[in-house]
Amino acid sequence: MEEYCIHLAILCCIYLILAHSFNISFGLAGLLNLAHIATYAIGAYTYSILTIDYGYHFVAAFLLSGVGAALFSVFVGAIAARLRGDYFALGSLGFYFVVSALLINWREVTRGVLGIAGVPRPELLEIDFYENRNFLVLAVILCLGCLACMYLLQVSPFGRLLRAQSENEFAAMSLGRDVARARNLSFLISSAFAGFSGAIFASYLNYVDPSSFSLTEMILVLSMVVVGRPGSFWGVTLSTIFLVLLPEPLRFLDFPPSAIGPLRQIVYSAILVGVVYWRKEALFPRRRVV
Amino acid sequence: MSSSTPPLLQVSSLHVHLGGRDIVQDVSFSLTVGERVGIIGPNGSGKTTLFNSLSGFLPVSAGSITFREREISTLPPHRRAQLGLGRVFQNFGIFREMSVFENMLLAVESNRKIPKRRRQSTVAEYLDLVDLLEKQKDKAGSLSGGQMRLLEIARTLAVGAELLLLDEPTAGVSPKLKDSVRNLLVHASDNKRTIVVIEHDMGFIGQLCDRILVLDVGRLVLDGPPDEIRSSQKVHEIYFGDAHA
Ligand SMILES: Nc1ncnc2c1ncn2[C@@H]1O[C@H](COP(=O)(O)OP(=O)(O)OP(=O)(O)O)[C@@H](O)[C@H]1O
Ligand SMILES: [Mg+2]
Repeated sequence: MEEYCIHLAILCCIYLILAHSFNISFGLAGLLNLAHIATYAIGAYTYSILTIDYGYHFVAAFLLSGVGAALFSVFVGAIAARLRGDYFALGSLGFYFVVSALLINWREVTRGVLGIAGVPRPELLEIDFYENRNFLVLAVILCLGCLACMYLLQVSPFGRLLRAQSENEFAAMSLGRDVARARNLSFLISSAFAGFSGAIFASYLNYVDPSSFSLTEMILVLSMVVVGRPGSFWGVTLSTIFLVLLPEPLRFLDFPPSAIGPLRQIVYSAILVGVVYWRKEALFPRRRVV
Repeated sequence: MSSSTPPLLQVSSLHVHLGGRDIVQDVSFSLTVGERVGIIGPNGSGKTTLFNSLSGFLPVSAGSITFREREISTLPPHRRAQLGLGRVFQNFGIFREMSVFENMLLAVESNRKIPKRRRQSTVAEYLDLVDLLEKQKDKAGSLSGGQMRLLEIARTLAVGAELLLLDEPTAGVSPKLKDSVRNLLVHASDNKRTIVVIEHDMGFIGQLCDRILVLDVGRLVLDGPPDEIRSSQKVHEIYFGDAHA
């Protein structure tokens, strides 16, 4: 039971970073980047490949997983520069499928659907991180660090600019602000943090494969931000913890194990649909023209 | 308008082509520092389109725009704004979901000449100027039409705009606040800011402006002092004779 609670706490840490990173581009900047889960995948794969194939140390691999994910966000920025609103969401979804096809088919690097096994946990300060209790401490520290950075960003002038341009890009431009650059930067930062959470995820499971980065996962992250209210730091924090723990009681009910997965997805989807319906005015305000 | 000082803004043979036709055709005029100019013209005559091309939201298809002796017609909107070209929008350019204070703070943060430690006090100064200090914690979207205009104009001033392009600043503004808007613009022009307003309210324009440009179907047809424009036969034909007027 204790092991189980530790497991859930580690999952909370991973998803908190992931959901908050998505909150930067979606919640603050108003950009529905459906390729966000791809940057999470790139973080996880970068960490796995660097540690296994190149023998990188945890610290270096962890930082580079953020860098790798951030570099990939350049493509997302290029899509955003050309497409607006719903079209951007569709364009980013297309980009997600490209990445996901690469994960499956570029076998020399990603090992395809078999995934990469034996991803190491950190070797730091002579602490045994294969002990989940110790890993949890590390995850909590990394999570608090990432969340603190993202909180500061949110209340900074840059965070304010992101919110402003999401409401009225023309008005933001006429204040002399480079809106395109701000958007790119928001993708860069949000992808870097997604990359970090991917690295923690890979290191925790000791294993990555393409199925961990499916659209179902994207919907889960989207729900975390939508339920918590896009842009709200504490709202997203609470809803992430709530949604990570929510399906857990299902385990203790008398369902066949094969039904649990689909059941979780039904629960998440129902919550997402419910919240979107209930708050449709706030989530999709009527557009104004210049 | 002394001829020795170079113009603040020089527009030459400007054309804006949209949807298969020239919405703005061969428009030329220049502005000197401190001028207060009104632009009038029937609905759809291309006034907003002219502003959008000056601000950089629409590409210029031919002609040139020189601002402070610099060709700006290919610069993106934010670069033009940084050079001092301010814009107040026809449909309100405030951030409704943000507080009045944050709206102002964004403008002050966008002005590189204001040091960090003076931001808060500058915000308070500008909010005081437009009588919104007491409302600073309110959502900007909860303000009245007139208060939103005042906030948007004050924001544009705080960014450091030298030239203000205002698109119908009295639309949706109560008569009392119309006076406040006019006083604010007069105050700004006393401080060497140049003002161009698109307006349908001739009374407002008459009291504010010392020069009026008349647009009709994308062309600049008249350019002169208010009295001359008011008595012009041509204006009566295209504007006052028009059903919209
Ligand atoms: N993006 C566009 N594509 C095609 N036509 C356009 C576009 N924008 C404006 N127009 C047309 O250009 C003409 C001028 O529009 P504009 O908004 O500049 O007029 P206006 O003088 O500001 O009118 P109003 O007094 O009603 O604000 C209109 O006929 C409009 O339909
Ligand atoms: Mg107009």
